[in-house]
Amino acid sequence: MIGFWDVYKRSEKGPFIKEQEFDKQLGIAANRLVQKHGIRFDREQVIPSDDGLADKVYQAALEMFLEQGIYCRDTSRLIQFSREEVQWALKHAPTIVTYGQGPDTRVMQHRKIEDSLPPFCLNTPVGCTVAEERFVAMVQSYAQEPLSDTFSSAFSQTVGGRPIKSGTPQEVEAAIWNVVKLREAARAAGRPLIGIHNLISNAEKTDATLAAVQEEFGAHPNDGLAVAAIAEMKVDYERMKKVVFLDHKGYNRYGLYGPIMGGYAGGPEATAIVHVAHHFLGLLAFGAQWHDGFPLHLMQGCNSTRDLLWLISVTGQALARNTHLLIGVSPFTAAGPCTEMVVQEIAAVVLAATVSGLHLNLVAVARNKLPERSSGMEARIGAETGHLIAGQGITRKKANEIVKRILRCYESNIPDAPRGKRFDECYDLKTVRPNREYLDVYDRCKEQLTKFGLEYQK
Amino acid sequence: MKLFEQIVEATVAGDQERCVALAREVLDSGADPLQAIEQGYTKGMTIVGDKFSRMEYYLPELIRCADAMNAAMDVLKPHLGKDQDSGVQGSVVIGTIQGDLHDLGKNIVKTMLQAAGLTVHDLGCDVQVRSFIDKAEELDADVIAASAILTTTMAYMPDLVNLLTDMSLRERFKVMVGGAPVTPEYAKEAGADGYGQNAAEAVDTAKRLVQSKKGGN
Repeated sequence: MIGFWDVYKRSEKGPFIKEQEFDKQLGIAANRLVQKHGIRFDREQVIPSDDGLADKVYQAALEMFLEQGIYCRDTSRLIQFSREEVQWALKHAPTIVTYGQGPDTRVMQHRKIEDSLPPFCLNTPVGCTVAEERFVAMVQSYAQEPLSDTFSSAFSQTVGGRPIKSGTPQEVEAAIWNVVKLREAARAAGRPLIGIHNLISNAEKTDATLAAVQEEFGAHPNDGLAVAAIAEMKVDYERMKKVVFLDHKGYNRYGLYGPIMGGYAGGPEATAIVHVAHHFLGLLAFGAQWHDGFPLHLMQGCNSTRDLLWLISVTGQALARNTHLLIGVSPFTAAGPCTEMVVQEIAAVVLAATVSGLHLNLVAVARNKLPERSSGMEARIGAETGHLIAGQGITRKKANEIVKRILRCYESNIPDAPRGKRFDECYDLKTVRPNREYLDVYDRCKEQLTKFGLEYQK
Repeated sequence: MKLFEQIVEATVAGDQERCVALAREVLDSGADPLQAIEQGYTKGMTIVGDKFSRMEYYLPELIRCADAMNAAMDVLKPHLGKDQDSGVQGSVVIGTIQGDLHDLGKNIVKTMLQAAGLTVHDLGCDVQVRSFIDKAEELDADVIAASAILTTTMAYMPDLVNLLTDMSLRERFKVMVGGAPVTPEYAKEAGADGYGQNAAEAVDTAKRLVQSKKGGN
């Protein structure tokens, strides 16, 4: 059995390697394993039905993890594991995670490929920047969605009128404010006990997180935190401090991994291997109960591109077939709210994810870059589509045909995707409800997607 | 095939052994090392940069090609004339700003800037605002380039510009910013002189800023 303190010890005693060399070796190893296992991205098999391909990606990822290990930035040392240790950790990984309390208790379970179990929907604006006065309304718009199993945070531009800067006293103040306001939004949504899957998304330094994650500010026992890896396959002590805190406090935790396609690993095949390997990192180094990925396209900053859809599908399948891990993905769209393209992109990513055994962390829109461009409607679109796909029993083969039809609608527009509307332009801020225009956009897209094979109920 | 064409080809292929062998051939044949750099290696890296922008090449290929070029530079540089500056266009101090540990984007920009013939001094990640300025002063750099991937660290970008002003150094250095949450609007608001949406745009911006500084604009 490997515990956190074994990992810590290895971070002090493991083989020394310069970071630049580690980055290079990772790319070389991943690409060698692509060749060795004959892993190939086929543009026509966006959602592949090939179990053998999924297993090859899994085996390659395991080999890479055992060869390369995890890089600790504070010590420039490798944290390495044996095959037996990884297999033991996988065998004993959590089979469920419970969020929320009372009527809002929700249980996340393992999903299989083409599972009829609906994806767990963790709805969030993914830290979209918003004006302080609109923060509660924006996050409320996520919490109040009926299919929200949990919710999480936007990023307030200011707190008390002051901008938030990492490592300053203001960061501590802002982190506490964040927890208080998230719970306020839960109450405003009429769901005071709903789980908050990531209580802090506005603090980089762990001291601010630890100061804020307290019951008196609104944290409940079944809420949680994300512990993020650094791309690719790296950790540092700042993040590992959270692990110690979580071990003592018992809040839920998930590993967060954002490999960049086109970055250190290389192309979609190599990045798929590295993405799966990140799940071993999260399990062993963070003790993650479940795992959320947000693989991104280096140039486009989204994951609705054809190659990223393939990557999401094949990595989900690799893990769903070979482990009982609880896994999810965050769709990142290029287009902004209240556009047909954002609906199409969400549908495409959710389709690739849902038939591949993944849960949904919904949704980062407008490349998660533009202030005020995020709303609960995108989460609604994703959650309704995910439930529909699972309920309809869509196979990977059928999903592949549908996703190619959806791709034809938006693929060429990704580089110049529409920015969409601001939250206050597509929601009534008094009632915190989407306006007619956005509902009409969604209705039109549902008609179109129904023709493609996603049968939305009227 | 002419020598410089072979250099271009070897650079685009990321063939370090061949790049070095060709650099030696340049010296043995009495060809001008500066011309070999400009019309061979730098030209090759421009093609590599274009391929990377179109994602025909990924970062491992970009790094391999840059390493191949740098190995050849080590052979050629000692043979440049005193009045030759190895084709260097200007100098940039680069880093990921205070509190930010995410350096993938910064590393790509660094590699592309070097490939474009700029001298780059990489301060790494989590760089204090004051450290950018101290290093730029020490090296008499043309441009300070700061990157951020987090909204909480992006907030240090205006501090960089303000501190330069308060230290009466604002006119001495051009400032460019970039990174996931940084928009052109934010760059302007922060008082930066330039912005890069991606690595290719960052290279264009850096060149423009160097030119404008040297031209006194």
